[in-house]
Amino acid sequence: MRPPTDTSAGTGLEPGSFRDPESRVFYSGGEVFRALSADGLTDFQAVSDAGLLDDPRIVRTEVAGDTQALRGLLVHEPAGVLRHERIPFVSYPYEWTFSMLKDAALVQLDLLLAALDKDLVLKDSTPYNVQFRGARPVFVDIGSFERRREGEPWIGYRQFCMLYLYPLLLQAVKGVPFHPWLRGCIDGIKPAEMRALLSFRDRFRRGLFTNVFLHARLEKRYADRPQEVKDEVKRVGLKKEILVANVRKMRKLVERLEWSPPEGVWTAYGERNTYTDSDAQRKDEFVRQVATSRHWDLVWDIGANNGRYSRIAAEGASTVVAVDADQGPVDLLYRDLRDEGDEKILTLTMNLADPSPGLGWRGLERRAMPDRGKPDLVLALALIHHVAISANVPVKEFVDWLASLGCSLVIEFPTREDPMVKKLLAPKRDGLHPDYELGFFERCLGEGFEVERSERLESGTRVLYHARPKG
Amino acid sequence: MTTVLAYLDPGSGSMILQIIAGGLAAVAVTAKLYWNRLLRFLRIRKDEPETTVETSSARSTDSA
Repeated sequence: MRPPTDTSAGTGLEPGSFRDPESRVFYSGGEVFRALSADGLTDFQAVSDAGLLDDPRIVRTEVAGDTQALRGLLVHEPAGVLRHERIPFVSYPYEWTFSMLKDAALVQLDLLLAALDKDLVLKDSTPYNVQFRGARPVFVDIGSFERRREGEPWIGYRQFCMLYLYPLLLQAVKGVPFHPWLRGCIDGIKPAEMRALLSFRDRFRRGLFTNVFLHARLEKRYADRPQEVKDEVKRVGLKKEILVANVRKMRKLVERLEWSPPEGVWTAYGERNTYTDSDAQRKDEFVRQVATSRHWDLVWDIGANNGRYSRIAAEGASTVVAVDADQGPVDLLYRDLRDEGDEKILTLTMNLADPSPGLGWRGLERRAMPDRGKPDLVLALALIHHVAISANVPVKEFVDWLASLGCSLVIEFPTREDPMVKKLLAPKRDGLHPDYELGFFERCLGEGFEVERSERLESGTRVLYHARPKG
Repeated sequence: MTTVLAYLDPGSGSMILQIIAGGLAAVAVTAKLYWNRLLRFLRIRKDEPETTVETSSARSTDSA
């Protein structure tokens, strides 16, 4: 039972953990702690007594001891402190693929059912309470569990709809990616908004009439009568069996939701067709040499596509974050990794020319990617031409950004003669992107990094570099 | 029941919806029960169908 080492806990407060007044997360000496109020502690003891702490879907947690140093953290004085297992890299639902959000939703519902079985309940239903260790979802908010009050309905139902069900429906039913919606609003999609996005025909789809159409209608109707509703709910009460039946029904609905990437993505997933076999082998070898030259704590594979190089990087790293703007291959990669039981490679979908910013209260509740842990190695393979030509980011800007991460780098530069580069340049006016040129790129790279080694692939249009940070 | 004291606003409409959905679920279970009884009465089905209900109540007694 080691207590927190740093007594000035206030400096290490997690800025995204203030909504629930009964518990607050903070960091000290590189570890993650949670301060609990007296009520929060009693709830935690109930969770512990129910044996839920041994559930592998819940973040590993132990009691940390001394609370004297933690005055002022909560509205009420802290009554207890917990220590949590640290998740290697924090990610958010607007960076997850469809299958990841769906798996998180199922964990959320399964834990609620497990809790109800022990006469406990989850007080909220937010995907921000789920993190991924590799391809395994982990529920991180122990403070969400509380003792169930007799007759109380499912308090987190509305939040479940707004942050899980509606985003999944949007993509499964309408084919619209949910990411901009979740990134655009930290609370998710409101029932009335979701209703407006559906057609008349959609009301006949399973679960949509009740959870969207009726939900939106009742919300509008009872919006100005909260006290009346509260009294009515109090009078009627909701039996536990009915609550369990409602949650099970929701689970069935979520389990049936499917989204599949376009057919071309499936075909390309197995084979990357722009390389000759020998090029692919030499590139594998180049990446493997760097990846296994020492141990890396955190590797970012940006432009990861089907995860071929993320897998190689994982041979010499504790954690690999595999990011790609294209959700299709990333979702297929996640499904494979999940089936393999992988706990090293975290798949994310994000446009690197428009990465996740800081969001929420003071822009601090959800952090930008580099603020969640800087990598010690970055792989940027077959990426720079997309960033420079498609997204119009100057080559120097991109290399400077990589240098600002202070990490080692494996980068691939496809020359102007490369078929893919020609394809990207084709729709543009002649003479555009004069900075996209091998000599200029090498000068920029030399300014920010010490180049260790470079190799031109056999086809002649692609050059690989291994570089170290300067200084 | 005790008053709802959650930090999260459960939403008035959302709570009413659960009562309606809960009511419908209760009606459905009752209807199924009577339907099965009717089938047995008419000798269309033998005694097994109602075992689902009996098993669940038996299980709750076991765990008690």
